[in-house]
Amino acid sequence: MDWKLRPAGDFGLSPRERLASLRRELGFLGTATHWCWRQFVRLYLRCFHGLRVMGREHLPEPPFVMIANHASHLDTLTLASVLPLALIDRVHPIAAEDTFFTSFATSAFAAFAVNALPLRRRATKRADLATLRARLLEEELVFILFPEGTRSRDGSMASFKPGIGALVAGSEVPVVPCYLEGAFAALPPHRRWPRPTRLKLRIGPPLAFGDLANDRGGWAGVAARCETAVRALALDDRRI
Amino acid sequence: MALASTWSVAFAHPVTGWIVLGAVGALALGAVIIAVLSAAGRLAPALRRELWLRLGSWCLLVPAIILPILAGRVWVIAAVTLLGLACLGEYGRATGLFRERFTTLVVVLGILAVNLAALDHWYGFFVALMPLSSGIIAVASIPFDEPRGYVQRVALAVFAFFLFGAALGHLGYIANDANYRPLILLLLLAVGINDVAAYVVGKTLGGPKLLPGTSPNKTVSGALGALAITTVVVTLLAEPIFAGTRMEALPLRIGLGVIVSVAGQFGDLMLSSIKRDIGIKDMGVAIPGHGGVLDRFNSLLLVAPAVFHYVGYIVGFGLDQPTRILF
Repeated sequence: MDWKLRPAGDFGLSPRERLASLRRELGFLGTATHWCWRQFVRLYLRCFHGLRVMGREHLPEPPFVMIANHASHLDTLTLASVLPLALIDRVHPIAAEDTFFTSFATSAFAAFAVNALPLRRRATKRADLATLRARLLEEELVFILFPEGTRSRDGSMASFKPGIGALVAGSEVPVVPCYLEGAFAALPPHRRWPRPTRLKLRIGPPLAFGDLANDRGGWAGVAARCETAVRALALDDRRI
Repeated sequence: MALASTWSVAFAHPVTGWIVLGAVGALALGAVIIAVLSAAGRLAPALRRELWLRLGSWCLLVPAIILPILAGRVWVIAAVTLLGLACLGEYGRATGLFRERFTTLVVVLGILAVNLAALDHWYGFFVALMPLSSGIIAVASIPFDEPRGYVQRVALAVFAFFLFGAALGHLGYIANDANYRPLILLLLLAVGINDVAAYVVGKTLGGPKLLPGTSPNKTVSGALGALAITTVVVTLLAEPIFAGTRMEALPLRIGLGVIVSVAGQFGDLMLSSIKRDIGIKDMGVAIPGHGGVLDRFNSLLLVAPAVFHYVGYIVGFGLDQPTRILF
């Protein structure tokens, strides 16, 4: 028996606050808009960028965290688009609050199309990371995040920040490393509209961090191992 | 010319005009009282802001309620449909039913079907939808082969369909009667007076609590005061509305007043029970100063079917109107 009345995590907030809440939960209208956006993005990536994907078989059952190098707004869209349809309401890209949640319109887009959750990049609150970690585990979600913290301005990969560790260190939640090639050429930060260049996504075998402590030392360890895994995928020269 | 004839249809019955004028007058009076008290410095800034907020919400709510009723049958049923869906949205987010996306969708379709039956003036289908929709809700999630949470999912959904579809739908169905305007306005007015009377009498007289575990602020004196005041208002206003019908008899009109008051208060207590069980204060934030849509319209949920079948038994609704008009 499973009998429990649990209000929405963002219950009692105003519409504007709901959109930018880390505890946001949408109903079937949200599912409908996510589905439409997903169909559009998948069609776009296939037709305009000829997206190729290697290593889909590495995707585990939720909960898990998907990470990748970050050079373009296309990164989030590409990673989300390769996940199975059944996960549609559980996939949350973690997006910069200062970029995607500054106005009602962008917040609504981030919530109802991308299903993103906001995170402050500078002076990230520990309570926010704890909220995300708890939701990831309890609600068996999928997070997409970019441990570099910002898009690369020259296409080269920066070192990973330790925040990813606060979500998974000391837990059995797997982290799936990915490397996306071609996104910088297609839509680098300084360009407004994308070029039709090919995108190639390599998905690596999942990493687990149950052996690391959930403290600063453990977080740094998580970030280092994740960075190594993504760099290894970048050097993978098998054709896809 | 067209406008003039629309106007004369909308206000064909004198009670319609009285209630609309009364509502507009009450808003104006409320504004004057708050303004005078503010000018006299009798209100703390926080209270003053709260009062203006509440009045401002009423200034939007009153036209949103009255205009569809004046506009016509289709508008009333459309407004009742939207109200039912808004209530379902709040209820779903409060109880967690919204996570059951498919079951919620079935409840939405049930609410639409009930209102479509009202629009079609098809009484047989209208009343058949309670068992039919409940049955569909009960089986809808079975093919997903996820029995975990089945009882909760179905119970929450059937309760939701009963409240926001089957029960509330009666309010729209009343609009199939040629003379629906004064009666629906009377119901809305009486339910509002019922709430206010319970509050004012309870505050003035005090005395023992009614059901402190369910709703800590309600008193026995408030409940009885509301019963008395609402019954008097309904009995008086029902006379011109039901002139020339069996409902004209005084005992029957008193019975109507008692039904409105008792069903209204139970509707209020029912929502209090839901909120207490979940552990929340308001059902939402849709109406500033009031809480959610359900916090405002809770009393109406049980009044609509009770009054419908009471009046329906004694005089009937829309018996001289065409039926099955859509299909």
